[in-house]
Amino acid sequence: MSNSNDYPEIKAPARAGADGHVPRDAAACAREKNIAATGKEPVSVYVIAACGVAMLAAGAILGSAGNLFDYGKVFRDGYKRTPAPGANEGPPPKAAVDAYMAKGKKVWGSKCITCHGPEAKGDGNNFPSLVGSAWALGETERFSMIVLNGLHGPMSTGKTYSGAAGMPTQNPNKDMTPEELSGVMTYVRNNFGNTKGDVVTVEMAKAAFEISAKRSKAGQQVTTEELTADHLKALPGKIIDPKAMVDPLTLNPVFAGKKAEAPVIAPPPAK
Amino acid sequence: MSLRTFVLCLTASFGIAWLAIIVIPFFEMRELAPVPYPEAKSTSAGIFFPKRTGRVMTGARVYAENGCYQCHTQLVRPTYAGNDLYRPDWGGLKMDPDRGDTRRETNAWDFNGEKFAQIGTTRMGPDLSNLGRRLETSDGSSADPAAWLYAHLYNPRNNPKLWNSTCPPHPFLFEKREVKEYRAPDALAVNVGENMEIVPGPDAKALVSYLISLKKDHPVPAALNFTPAEK
Amino acid sequence: MSSATTNTQDALVRSGIDRSLRHPVMFFLMSGAVWLSFALLLGVIASVKTSSPGFLGHCGFLTYGRVYPAHINALVYGWGMQTAFAVILWLMARLTRRECTMTGAILTAGHVWNLTIGLGLIGILSGFGTGMPWMEFPPFAWPVLLASYCVILVGPFIQFRVRPEERGNIAQWYLLAAVIWFPWIYLTANVLLHCVPGHPVMGAAINAWFRSALIFLFFTPVALGTASYLAPKVTGNPLYSDSLAKLGFWSLAIIGPWAGMQKLTGAPIPYFLPYLGGAATALFFIPALAAAVNTIRTIWPSREVLTVSPTLRFTLAGMVALVLLGVAAVILNLPDSMLPATQFSFSGYGFEILALYGFFGFVMFGATYFIVPRVTCREWISRRLIRWHFLFSLYGILTIIFVTLIGGYQQGLGQESWSLPWMKAVDAGVSIAVVITFAWCLILFSNIFFFLHLTLMWLRLGRRGSQPTLLACSPGNLGPAASGPATAH
Repeated sequence: MSNSNDYPEIKAPARAGADGHVPRDAAACAREKNIAATGKEPVSVYVIAACGVAMLAAGAILGSAGNLFDYGKVFRDGYKRTPAPGANEGPPPKAAVDAYMAKGKKVWGSKCITCHGPEAKGDGNNFPSLVGSAWALGETERFSMIVLNGLHGPMSTGKTYSGAAGMPTQNPNKDMTPEELSGVMTYVRNNFGNTKGDVVTVEMAKAAFEISAKRSKAGQQVTTEELTADHLKALPGKIIDPKAMVDPLTLNPVFAGKKAEAPVIAPPPAK
Repeated sequence: MSLRTFVLCLTASFGIAWLAIIVIPFFEMRELAPVPYPEAKSTSAGIFFPKRTGRVMTGARVYAENGCYQCHTQLVRPTYAGNDLYRPDWGGLKMDPDRGDTRRETNAWDFNGEKFAQIGTTRMGPDLSNLGRRLETSDGSSADPAAWLYAHLYNPRNNPKLWNSTCPPHPFLFEKREVKEYRAPDALAVNVGENMEIVPGPDAKALVSYLISLKKDHPVPAALNFTPAEK
Repeated sequence: MSSATTNTQDALVRSGIDRSLRHPVMFFLMSGAVWLSFALLLGVIASVKTSSPGFLGHCGFLTYGRVYPAHINALVYGWGMQTAFAVILWLMARLTRRECTMTGAILTAGHVWNLTIGLGLIGILSGFGTGMPWMEFPPFAWPVLLASYCVILVGPFIQFRVRPEERGNIAQWYLLAAVIWFPWIYLTANVLLHCVPGHPVMGAAINAWFRSALIFLFFTPVALGTASYLAPKVTGNPLYSDSLAKLGFWSLAIIGPWAGMQKLTGAPIPYFLPYLGGAATALFFIPALAAAVNTIRTIWPSREVLTVSPTLRFTLAGMVALVLLGVAAVILNLPDSMLPATQFSFSGYGFEILALYGFFGFVMFGATYFIVPRVTCREWISRRLIRWHFLFSLYGILTIIFVTLIGGYQQGLGQESWSLPWMKAVDAGVSIAVVITFAWCLILFSNIFFFLHLTLMWLRLGRRGSQPTLLACSPGNLGPAASGPATAH
């Protein structure tokens, strides 16, 4: 690299003096050293060791990579969320009556309010009021049959309402779930001025579905006669304390503290 | 080494990586197969396709132009990659009044409607994946999330709860004008003198519309649902 | 093969080459210095805003979300690329011993480059940025920049007939590779993000890859090539080890392209991509260590020259920064312990600044102090200005490195503390921000000296003389009037 004769196309300018001095313009270049041929030292073992450490780290990172080049997977194989260390998951439990009523309020707002009105007072002619209604506040099975199957004809007060074709039926599991049924029943019984004070549980609602399906006129509306004849009783199911804590979503009882079981109250005497 | 060999080796070493991590995944992800709900809730929409309302494209453009991605991320990482899911209101809500725990990881359909996912580079501000949901349920903002956002964008430190916020004020997104017969309904609650009010400009409106649409807590089908099995 | 001293013919050949390159090289170095000062000013403004958001808050042009992208784009494309152009052109001309005959085209393309950068920055500050980190110039800019690049570097490379000579200097390999890699990377990222519709999250992944590839596959090889040339040139020692040099080069070529997507860990892209990127970034330690050891061991036998040569001092500082970069690359990317905390914290920013300014920048400054006297036929005016440039830059970059890498981890831990409200995590970041602002002020201060000094040299107001401006009296000199071959640089 030091012999410019290898590159004949560059001619040295004629200004070079015979004594080896170069013009000041080339002074910086004149004092430059030539680049010597690259040395032949071997790669030091310390460098190799350090590179080995880096390769271990990289290998550890790759270990988390799962199957390489598996373009179809976006999440880690078999990933399930690890719970937060030391934290409670899920919404806090609520008193049963509040939880059921919260659920029922939504059902009311979507299904019942259009006919029965926001205060459940009906409109006097077409739709009955539920405030203080004997059938709403009475036996749970009768009430549940009305909700599930609809009603036409004279009410508990004796008056007949002419609204539409009567109360519509609810297709089980398509229009209403047991949670929703129990919720709306509890809501009506404990709201709008009603203060029944009890909770219709999911278990009872499930029983109601079965009873409703087994009716001889299953799928059709009930009539007053049928209600009086067949359904004048409480729905089967364990009665719970309205203040017992339940999970607001599943409505399952939650055992707060170290209590072994939710308190059970003896069923009220049959009416 | 001849030039040809050199360029060949260089092309190979770069090209293989280029194909493997850039070209192939890019073209594969263009045709992402939609994930079906095996338990279709209704016959028409049997696939997971979260809809977004609001001015997503325009708002995303304003978001990008004003560099919000420099301080805010939009990525809720799975638990093996970070603690984002443990926060009560980043991946969804821990206590959504209707659905309970709606928190979930970001998935590939969460950026529908945007051209470039603003994943973000640093977190000087909170993650914004579920900002819309967070504002709806949080005390200070649930009454009117848009108004809260306008006030925040105008000057974040005006909010006493965010006195040490490092979010910059964006007064240039707003217009200062004279009050006409009545104050504009979206005028900010900022005192700018007699008879003057601050109203959001078009960019502010687009941006706020976009931010309110940031709700990435839709229920996901089983293939994308990573909640641990119930005991 | 050759004697250690130069003969007259060599000196005249070299000076002819340097003369042919005077205008392009000085143009790019000056433009780079101007953009550097501008970028640092924007950087200081942005940094102040991270702790006092109300600073200049009424001005839409200067909102943080626009000023920070403007800062980084000016730094990368305005200063970084143009300084690289100057050094690459000069090095390749010298290494192939050919004069440059394309200076007119290069200068035109250089002006076009500057104009595009200027318009692009105005675009970003006016609110037309694209929102893609490091690619925020409005979409008109990238084709123009790419075309200018081809004229500035690809043309001359063909004219110089650059070859990877087996027994030549490894610098030729690095520079040739860098010149080939940049257009491939730049074209890929811009076409896939602007022209071809794709999945939004994959777009973000490609952007992350682009940022990493620009550092590892353009700025790194340019700096390594320069250092591999300067260290033997200034000291007169041979480059320490050929096998280490080749190991460094080929490991960079193989590892570099895979890195980058670790910035998107946890995002909905194919699961293995971020971890592959993290592993590759950790493996960057190998080429970093190999090249740094090679250069440092070249310098070490002549370390007394460090006291006098600004070039050598800057180059060595750059090599130390490279080792730090390699170590940081390993530590920041460990997936379960470090990465969740550092992924969205200042640590990533610190890594980028360490690479761009600590490593690439210092080596480029070293090259500048070597090249400019040769190209302008004047010597640097004031050793004090050089010393201040070095010291303040060193203090500034050390502060930034330690505060961002370590403080960033603390900030990340605060972010990951999910049981504390978010505003607590913000508090952890504010003190870091203040120190970073101070460090940027130091760096801006140092570069004001550099800019002044370089402007004077550009205006050919440098010192006429045959003795170099050294940082101290040369140990072998007999005095300022000595003639004859000097042993020091």
